[in-house]
Amino acid sequence: MKYDSITEVIGDTPLVRIAPEIHGLDNIDLYAKLEMLNPFGSVKDRAAWNMLQPHLERGGADRTVVELSSGNTAKALAVLAAMHGLPFKSVTNRMKVPEIKDLLLLLGAEIEELPGQAECLDPTNTEDPLTKIHQLLSADTASYVHTDQYYNERNIEAHRNSTGPEIIKDLGGHAPDYFIAAVGTAGSSTGCARALRAHDPDTSVVGLVAHKSDFIPGIRNIDEVHEVGLFDPGTYDTIESVSADEAIDGMLTLVRRCGMLAGPTGGAAYFGAVRHLRAVDAQLTDRRTAVFIVCDRVESYMSYVHKRRPELLRRPARPNSLASLTDTDLAAAVSIDTPAAQRWIEETRPLVVDLRGSFAFDALHIPGSVNIVDEVFAELLHGGMPFGRNQPVLLACPVGEQSAKYAALLTRMGHGDVRSLTGGVVAWRDAGAPLVRD
Amino acid sequence: MTTPLYLTPRLEDRLASLLDDPDFLHRLTHALGSPLNIVLPDQIAENVERFRAVHDRHRLSGTVYYAHKANRSSALVRRLADTPAHIDIASLGELQHALGSGFSPDRIMATGPKNPELLWLAARTGVSVNLDSVDELHLLADLVTRHRLPKARVLIRLSDFESSGTTVLTKRSRFGTPVGRIGMFLDALEKHRDSTELTGVAYHLDTIGLAEKATALEGCVRVMRECAARGFRPRAVDIGGGFGVDYLADGAQWEAYTSELTNAVLGKRPPLTWQGHGYGLRSEAGTLRGALGLYPAHRPVSGPRYLDELLSQSSASLGRPLATLLLENLHDLHVEPGRALVDQCGAVLARVLEVRDTPEGECVVRLEMNASDVSLEEHGVLMDPVLVRRPGAPSTAGTNPTGAYLIGNLCLEADFITRRMVFLPHRPEVGDLLAFANTAGYFMDFSADHALHQPIARKVAAYRTAGTWDWCLDENYWPISRTEESR
Repeated sequence: MKYDSITEVIGDTPLVRIAPEIHGLDNIDLYAKLEMLNPFGSVKDRAAWNMLQPHLERGGADRTVVELSSGNTAKALAVLAAMHGLPFKSVTNRMKVPEIKDLLLLLGAEIEELPGQAECLDPTNTEDPLTKIHQLLSADTASYVHTDQYYNERNIEAHRNSTGPEIIKDLGGHAPDYFIAAVGTAGSSTGCARALRAHDPDTSVVGLVAHKSDFIPGIRNIDEVHEVGLFDPGTYDTIESVSADEAIDGMLTLVRRCGMLAGPTGGAAYFGAVRHLRAVDAQLTDRRTAVFIVCDRVESYMSYVHKRRPELLRRPARPNSLASLTDTDLAAAVSIDTPAAQRWIEETRPLVVDLRGSFAFDALHIPGSVNIVDEVFAELLHGGMPFGRNQPVLLACPVGEQSAKYAALLTRMGHGDVRSLTGGVVAWRDAGAPLVRD
Repeated sequence: MTTPLYLTPRLEDRLASLLDDPDFLHRLTHALGSPLNIVLPDQIAENVERFRAVHDRHRLSGTVYYAHKANRSSALVRRLADTPAHIDIASLGELQHALGSGFSPDRIMATGPKNPELLWLAARTGVSVNLDSVDELHLLADLVTRHRLPKARVLIRLSDFESSGTTVLTKRSRFGTPVGRIGMFLDALEKHRDSTELTGVAYHLDTIGLAEKATALEGCVRVMRECAARGFRPRAVDIGGGFGVDYLADGAQWEAYTSELTNAVLGKRPPLTWQGHGYGLRSEAGTLRGALGLYPAHRPVSGPRYLDELLSQSSASLGRPLATLLLENLHDLHVEPGRALVDQCGAVLARVLEVRDTPEGECVVRLEMNASDVSLEEHGVLMDPVLVRRPGAPSTAGTNPTGAYLIGNLCLEADFITRRMVFLPHRPEVGDLLAFANTAGYFMDFSADHALHQPIARKVAAYRTAGTWDWCLDENYWPISRTEESR
């Protein structure tokens, strides 16, 4: 396959069957529409390209592309805008997925995070920041192109003209009996639903939203969907909710058993699909088909998983770590107070290691000390002893807690004369001992 | 009636025990009238310890300052004077009150808008001044020089912090000096070295957003460095307040209520508010617009936990947790909680004067108080009052939950205690009390006035002795022989 531009690669994504022994449905063939295989990594590539195109054709030179997005739409628009030499700005309530944030910055996008809610309410201020941004953008069309994904019909159109028809074609000219999609901007679910129903009015459409107190990237909760201009409850036969935990469970099935490296949104769609279909399946006597959308890839959501299900990312214990210290180890550590430390420094000239951050060390430190930041020191110790076993060492940290632990660890590792400064640099300062900035 | 949508207040032991004593509450209102404010001085002492525990957990030195403006009570301030807490005052009257309640000047800080009289009394007694601007510094230095006062201890309040990586937008504040102009501020402080001593830098942001506060805290650490480079020796970073309160017992109730409010605004269910008021939400062609102008009443991460969370954030540019950054740079951390420090510290009582049904079938409950006596609505906090039935009232067995509109004693259409329909477990009757719990922070006496010659609530301090509730007038409370722990 040869193309002239990456934008031609958008769309025509595969429809892949989920093996029946995995989903456990007797009478339903379940297919995943792998939107994650779009060139920029998600279902949003189609909408972003369709929304931006008319502006490019009209000659949008020098105008900044703006979208309210903290995820895949921003990512796709950032790539497309950069390709066409336009600046891109993403306005967002909160960047909740750090990997996406870094990626957007890498792509050259500008990110503006909206202010949080006031602690002291000003009841006269009922305009939300989003509405203000809307006003700003529509007042200045000379400087901005606002793609407006939550209201833009071209978002729906992208899926009605491509995603939906592709599904029908791949199913041999039939629309699926069930279509399941997570609702974010409502663009893909509405667009596909229109195409599928135009072909077969009996297609049943299930919309999935997030539990109210949960956060699943790219899915809105049951209240938030009402803020979406493209959302029309009439599009869906039912709307069901999925929790973040269930989304991750669904994701695990897709990545571990199906070989589909889907993110939590796709996981939510799989989980919601199987849960909905299981009830239907029991009543069926003939074969049916169902399709759900796998929105994007798993790689961007490592910190999301780490935060919610850290046990899934287990790592082997590393040697010489503080966590392995016993009470006996800790009791064996030697600590000395500031006057004793001053005498020891005078007499023996031990290596003084300051474990604080470099910013703090740079501001003030014990004369003659060296700075090995605690994180770096921990890394060094995983590898072994970073200085001779007979080299006297005085460890200092802010209050003498961490230094005592490292002294215990070094002692256990066989160091002969390591001591911790009792009360740390704070006690050193409070005792009036010298601190320098040199 | 439709399913009741309760918003049950979160009550900790002390406040729950008070509201569980109807005889005591009815005796009080019988003697002192309605409305009546009750404060719980021993609770504030407990709250101070909870904030101090966060300092301890992060091994940080520094102080908890009570933002006095949250409540005018003398009992709370006097009880606080008997704890390790300090106090933050924002007016001449508050300063006099703090001094007269037992706070020595070294435990007081003046913040906010200040008049020359406040500056003089602060400098005269040795109270710290949290400076808003260079102009204020000139004014203070001039007073110190002209009146031969001792060197004034000052902090600089900063605003408009710059973020790295992403642009963290924040609402403009009318207070503080933009961090970009710190050089100019330090020039002025250098000029006034004989009359002032810089002890710290400060910010206070009116937001619940952690990212904005983390950005500001990190900015302060950088400014501390700049101050040191210029030969100043500030010790403290003062991060203000705004830690918030968790008002509701049950998050599911809050979620159900706000979902139903959304449906009501979209016309998908009968209204939940007087004349379909949407609390900032509105429907435009079936799509929800506007923003919910309500305090997020269910906030599990609030108060001391919020502080803990903030300190655990990583600094975006310096790469260390904020607590570590403060600790290893040897800075003290000052916090100024107001609302969060008087969490669970009181209630407002009001007597039911009338219960009637409108021709439309709505139940209206008229109270012997008005909206300014318990300004929950003004601050956007939705929380149910607790029904305290009068002693000897018939059993409630067999009665049903009731949705009612609460109206006040002003001859004014707008005098609703709240514009939402409040669901009560039983239909109230004349002579019952409604207790608005956990209202000591900003809702009790912040806005109350004498409109229509209606009385302002009296205030009493309540405390437990030997397992029973006792009380005295707020102005007669002193922390001797009236606290729970006999000393």
